[in-house]
Amino acid sequence: MSLLLVAGVVAAGAVAGALGSLLGIGGGVFLVPFLNAGLGVDFGVARAVSLMTVIATSSAVSAGTAGRHTVNLRLGMVLEVASTTGGLIAGLTVERISSGHLSLIFAVVTALIAALMVSRLEKRNVLSADADPGPLGGRYFEEESGREVAYRVKRLPLGLFASLMAGAVSGTLGIGGGILKVPVLNGWCGVPMRAAAATSALMIGVTAAASVPLFYARGQVNPPLAAAAVLGVLAGSRLGFQFGGRARAKWLKLLMACVLAAVSLLYFRKALM
Amino acid sequence: MRSEDGALESLERTLGRLLRGGVLSAAVLLAFGLVVSIAAGATPLSAGTLTAGLIVLMATPILRVVVSLVAYARMRDWFFVATTVSVFVLLAVTVLLAWSKLSRG
Repeated sequence: MSLLLVAGVVAAGAVAGALGSLLGIGGGVFLVPFLNAGLGVDFGVARAVSLMTVIATSSAVSAGTAGRHTVNLRLGMVLEVASTTGGLIAGLTVERISSGHLSLIFAVVTALIAALMVSRLEKRNVLSADADPGPLGGRYFEEESGREVAYRVKRLPLGLFASLMAGAVSGTLGIGGGILKVPVLNGWCGVPMRAAAATSALMIGVTAAASVPLFYARGQVNPPLAAAAVLGVLAGSRLGFQFGGRARAKWLKLLMACVLAAVSLLYFRKALM
Repeated sequence: MRSEDGALESLERTLGRLLRGGVLSAAVLLAFGLVVSIAAGATPLSAGTLTAGLIVLMATPILRVVVSLVAYARMRDWFFVATTVSVFVLLAVTVLLAWSKLSRG
């Protein structure tokens, strides 16, 4: 691998990682089209390399949030049964999906993510701290209101279904899939946004670990490419966290939703060709 | 406060340290391997270091599940022991299939 290509992939990873942490979504949805459509890397290799960065992001983010109680370890583990099932099924079956169908799925999912990014629906879902959170709920210190809050988990089967689908999409397309399940956990399952996002960030690592070893065994994890992408994403997401401002994030969201819409169109065209 | 809250809190901190250690050591190995492979080409040293980095990266979330399993067993929280075992079995299937594919070449 040439120095120029390494530098390009590190830079792309850094941009994807920074965008990911500014927007609260993983960088995979930007990294996969950059590697595949931009650099002409095979989709299978782009997917495998991106999943490696998903694991790195998950470990780094979850190491940072540990101790704040926003990660719901119990709920996460229950949902991980579904998300790793989805990841494993994708890892075993994805070879049978034609590249046209794969492009079509990528186009639909990026369009959906663009729409979810701008919709900004958010439910608060919090109860007072002395309320019983039930077996799967949680309790954490809410910075906005400066007090401890509790929440109960509702409609668990729906959360499990969303996690299964997010896991399958993750293993099929090489993205984390957090943005697909966080709205469900927040909108219907009673989980506050902060807890849903932190729990999802923990889950995406183990979900990727359920599919990426299969791609590794198929030789799709190109080691220097994966190393460059992982290092770039880790550096970028650190930068993104340090410079993340709320006001700018709103415009950035709109801008990146447009970029994703363009990516979606590109893959629709690929699917039709 | 539930009696298990303290145990869960210390599990959260242990997992935080594990994830930080995993991602940091993977990053160091990958950076070293990448620099060597740029400077000296694909040598056994660069290939070995890159492979080690990628394996540490993939193993970190799996190790997180194993550590959680031990913690829930200590808490005698059997529902979560069963849940964590299920996740572990799914990961073990992935790893064993990948392993058998690698050893068949």
